[in-house]
Amino acid sequence: MAVFALRRLLSAIPTLLIVTLIVFAMVKLLPGDPARLILGQEATPQALSELRHSLGLNRSMPQQYLRWLTSAVRLDFGTSLTDHSSVSGLIAQKLPVTLELSLFAMLISLLISLPAGMISAVRRSTWIDRLLTLLALSGISLPNFFLGILLIYLFSIRLAWIPASGYTSLAEDPGRNLLLLLLPAVTLGVGSAAVLTRYLRSSLSETLNQDYVRTAHAKGLAARQVISKHALKNALIPFLTAFGLQLGGLLGGAVITEQIFSIPGFGRLLVDAVFTRDLPVIQGVVLVSAVAVFLVSFLVDLGYAAVDPRIRYH
Amino acid sequence: MTTTLSKPPSPAKRRLPAPVRRFLGNKLAVIGIVVLVIFAGAALLARQVAPFDPAQIFFADLRAAPSAAHLFGADELGRDIFSRVVYGARVSLSAGLISVTLALVFGGSIGLIAGYIGGWLDDLLMRFVDALLSLPFLVLAIALAAILGPSLQNTMIAIAIVTAPAFARITRGEVLSQRERDYVQAAQALGAGDGRLIVRHLLPNISGALIVQTSLAIANAILAEASLSFLGLGIQPPTPSWGSMLNAARGYLTDAPWMALFPGLAIFLAVLAFNLIGDGLREALDPRGHKS
Amino acid sequence: MRRVHFPVVFLSAALLTSLASAQTLTVGLDADPPKLDPALSTALVDRQVMNQIFDKLVDLDVNLKVIPALATSWKVTNGGLTYTFKLKSGVKFSDGTPLDAAAVKYGLDRNRTLEGSARKNELSSVKEVKVIDAQTVQLSLSQPYGPLLAVLTDRAGMIVSPTAAKKAGSDFQNNPVGSGPFTFVSRVRQDNITLTANKNYWGGAPKIDKLVYRPFPDGDVRYANLLSGAVQAITPVDPKDVSKLAENAKFSVLNYPGIGFQGVWFNVTRAPFNNKNFRQAVAATIDREAIAKSIFYDTVTPAAGPFPPGTAAASSSIKVQKPDIALAKQKLGGKPLTFTLLTSPGSVTIQLAQVYQAMFAQAGITAKIEQVEFGTLLDRADKQDYDALMLGWSGRPDPDGNIYDFFVTDGTNNQAGYSNKTVDSLLAKARAQNAMSARVATYNVALGTIINDTPYTWVYFQRNLVASVKGMVGLKPIPDGILRFKDVDLK
Repeated sequence: MAVFALRRLLSAIPTLLIVTLIVFAMVKLLPGDPARLILGQEATPQALSELRHSLGLNRSMPQQYLRWLTSAVRLDFGTSLTDHSSVSGLIAQKLPVTLELSLFAMLISLLISLPAGMISAVRRSTWIDRLLTLLALSGISLPNFFLGILLIYLFSIRLAWIPASGYTSLAEDPGRNLLLLLLPAVTLGVGSAAVLTRYLRSSLSETLNQDYVRTAHAKGLAARQVISKHALKNALIPFLTAFGLQLGGLLGGAVITEQIFSIPGFGRLLVDAVFTRDLPVIQGVVLVSAVAVFLVSFLVDLGYAAVDPRIRYH
Repeated sequence: MTTTLSKPPSPAKRRLPAPVRRFLGNKLAVIGIVVLVIFAGAALLARQVAPFDPAQIFFADLRAAPSAAHLFGADELGRDIFSRVVYGARVSLSAGLISVTLALVFGGSIGLIAGYIGGWLDDLLMRFVDALLSLPFLVLAIALAAILGPSLQNTMIAIAIVTAPAFARITRGEVLSQRERDYVQAAQALGAGDGRLIVRHLLPNISGALIVQTSLAIANAILAEASLSFLGLGIQPPTPSWGSMLNAARGYLTDAPWMALFPGLAIFLAVLAFNLIGDGLREALDPRGHKS
Repeated sequence: MRRVHFPVVFLSAALLTSLASAQTLTVGLDADPPKLDPALSTALVDRQVMNQIFDKLVDLDVNLKVIPALATSWKVTNGGLTYTFKLKSGVKFSDGTPLDAAAVKYGLDRNRTLEGSARKNELSSVKEVKVIDAQTVQLSLSQPYGPLLAVLTDRAGMIVSPTAAKKAGSDFQNNPVGSGPFTFVSRVRQDNITLTANKNYWGGAPKIDKLVYRPFPDGDVRYANLLSGAVQAITPVDPKDVSKLAENAKFSVLNYPGIGFQGVWFNVTRAPFNNKNFRQAVAATIDREAIAKSIFYDTVTPAAGPFPPGTAAASSSIKVQKPDIALAKQKLGGKPLTFTLLTSPGSVTIQLAQVYQAMFAQAGITAKIEQVEFGTLLDRADKQDYDALMLGWSGRPDPDGNIYDFFVTDGTNNQAGYSNKTVDSLLAKARAQNAMSARVATYNVALGTIINDTPYTWVYFQRNLVASVKGMVGLKPIPDGILRFKDVDLK
């Protein structure tokens, strides 16, 4: 198992290196002069050239890349151009907010998708399956920024139950924290609930068609038992894989959701950085999200290998 | 963009091939087609359908509620929302179709080359594809749109770049599995050239998976375009885009909720149409799904 | 209302908590102040916070008159080349360091010379700062510079604790120490900046105990936080929300004149706007009244020049231009005019750009809108890589700060690349004059030429918009837009 894990990690290194190259190149291609941005409307030409020099903007590209990569490996992504705070510090501060939001969203998505997917699979090709399919496809098609706006309109403006935006940290006031995260979490969770419902439906109905399940049926086990004891257990593995792989989607979705509800998280950090051309922050955020997606898929692989030993020798 | 599903194997011309019949039997998929036709019609005939120029400002009608004069109401500059939604269909549909076509051509070619030639080239290309795939879709699209600068053309390029890796993966996988099949081996033994082999034998056999993926990718591309213009990284004003209309509407939810409602519904319906069609295609082209 | 929904319970609980600690005042700003260092600050929003932490040599009153602050009195001698300031005695920084003439010299020299200081330009006329005795500081100028006092009412005149500044180096911005009515406690980037009252303040202790700033870049979010009670005051207020707040019995709105201007630059160094007629044609299509009314709900004032009404150099003889499509067409002379209008993102700027576009179109002028982020916009303005550009100015208390650098040949803010010998000599003349009335007369002569040449067309003057809970009292409407919280109380 350890050998498998190590091999899997080693084989990922070239991919991760390419990711760093893409991230670095991407940011270098951004138009606009960071020095001008820092100094603003009142800058003198002399101050601009001084700053360009001290930012290392006049070095060669490979030099800049190596300098950046060696620091990035040590989790040092430089300092923000707009306010001189450390980028890793900013990420460490914003990531937990987004993680909490994502976990909350995941929970909501599980609460919806587990029952919906099971009903859909068991009652395949009936009216309820068609209805759930339509609902799931609607959920996938509903842009989260539109859903967010609808929720704000209904719960914040019409009913005035929940403030439209704002954020209170969990430590400061747990009740208010959860209340304020409720609408964003629903906004973020519905899309992934829809995707997971579709996964569970197809993996569960595939298992239901397999011989051992048919045999169990033939042996006269009650349908409920067959599903809960045999089929669900097997169908859950691909389902959980899909669940893990939703992370990339959630990180992307969080960008929009945090924007609508003005939550000071990871996605908001990215959008703000894009609009202020804060290059070190963009680099750090994109790189960390790539590594996060990679780590989750690595854990999913490990989980798979633990369940199904054949994978290790593939 | 037109796609042929597959060549009818049956000599009887009147009878539709089985996948087509299965597809047309799927009510949801047919609804998807109908919605799509309505949007496509609006986009093509925008000039005839829209009562006003979408950029025309009426200071007398600022945030006017829906009425006979303004079917969907008017926005913060008094512009007719119905006309803007109709013109917005052009932006959304062309963004969806063009970016996915680009992604299909580039991603498909990369996958084909990687799968067919194999070796170190395959390794290299797939590493690159893996790297792109490990970046969250929207995060990458935002970063790319920011680099390229805001315009419809650049939005389409950004979406094409983030969509292409999935096509490369699927194509490569299909090519690998088809390459080992008997008919390919036989054609090779008979001395068929690479080009002929790919065009005549490989492509027709992998098109099923690509068609399904294309339809779903268009749905995603329309969403991505709307997201980018929602963030202000898409097409420039005054050209209406559903995403930027929704963004402008956020500030007026209390006074003018219709500013958000109609563009939001338009995005939802257009994306849903492609998802319904894609889902229908998947069921129709995948015989396994029809055992039960 | 029979049913009590659980969110309502939470809300009322939150409200009660905020009432219990009524001596904390939380203010919502439109941005997170990037650098709390008077020398390094380049963002206007920094001033909101720094004004509470630092004292300045002199300050402004509601009529933009320069009034004593750390300096109790001053003398201008030697034909405007020597400024002598008498300092208040017994003032201490919050770290205990005495604020004497040596500290003032340190602070001014730091602003003049620190690497990366954004104050170098404002203080470029200062040749030397001398300590005469413990309470007297003298500034020698290399040439007369009328606006100097006004410059010292802003960041250039803020005095930092020498002890703290020497110790912290470039990190001073993260732990700023001054002698102001409030003392810096802590900050969490993008979340809050917390200050506490300086109980030993020489001008009397502030009435509130704690002052917290929170950034909300989105106007709707700022507004929502005021309504929900999370903050007690916000600035700026989105124009569309002003009337709603004014009608609400729980809130009050302060709406008072500002000192800045907004408008459109024309790049006179290249086609099409090297043609004066084209510039005049575009300027003639703009309906300034309609813009003030429809986009800003009359929270701005149509502008005729760089000097807002109520400021020293404002002149009633310069009238706001009425839209005149016939004139615009005549200036075009039947020639087609197509150009790109450069602007930065933001819901109001985008609306404005689209309205301009529609107004230009009435004269047959085609404008394409290009949005670029603010840093890129400034960069392209510097390189004169644009046709027309939407860019304004926050304004300075002295008229010089609203005109000189904008229209003098090669001025740092002369985005048009405009150059006119007559204007140059008039602007230089005004700088050297010490009597305000003489300077104003000179400015208005220069302005006549500038308006005719139209390298820039003024559209509106922004006003300061502050909304607060009704119980907040004691805020003075000082036109520079900085909220001074020393005398503010929460009832």
